[in-house]
Amino acid sequence: MLNHSKMNVLIGLLILALMPATGFSRGDPATGEKKAATCEACHGKTGMSIDPNYPILAGQHESYLIKALADYRSGARENAIMASFAAQLSNQDIEDLAAWFASQEGLEDLSIK
Amino acid sequence: MRFLLIISALFLVCGQVQAKGDPAAGKIKAYTCTGCHGIAGYNNVYPTYKVPKIGGQNYEYLVIALKEYRDGNRDHGTMELQAQTLSDQDMEDIAAYFASLGKDD
Repeated sequence: MLNHSKMNVLIGLLILALMPATGFSRGDPATGEKKAATCEACHGKTGMSIDPNYPILAGQHESYLIKALADYRSGARENAIMASFAAQLSNQDIEDLAAWFASQEGLEDLSIK
Repeated sequence: MRFLLIISALFLVCGQVQAKGDPAAGKIKAYTCTGCHGIAGYNNVYPTYKVPKIGGQNYEYLVIALKEYRDGNRDHGTMELQAQTLSDQDMEDIAAYFASLGKDD
């Protein structure tokens, strides 16, 4: 039989195993806003892009924005402009920027039947 | 000579005015797209992230994105296959439809 402390360790390990191993923690929108100064020139203050060739980021899903920035940084998604910006970002920066733009009013989540 | 000038001037004008797609035609052509992009909060899997919102997205960007998928310049198995079935006109119509959503409500 397992004693109490062994049982606690086992439960702890189980919880750790179930946590997603993404290496990303939660982003902070307020910190993201401060880090977004560079983005503003093309994507606008809140992510409403000024040039229609560039995507609107305002209201986009946080997890998709994280994926896009991580892909630009790794080179999985190729874009000369975004590659150079993303190269300077840490995981925390990406999380914060995604949290900021996702929290803004913009894109619509569709429910089409 | 004058005729040639007029013709080349016409070509220049046409090249600059990019006709946008037809949202009504796009709505019909977008039937497949809505299987993922028309369900609020729908997840992509392996890796898991939410399928991007495209309602109200910029028309020009949507056309660029579809062409990148079609030409193999942007990786996503499903999107590459979908984009390869579309003509330029299809892409413009579909982009016009999604860009038009959520703009005036």
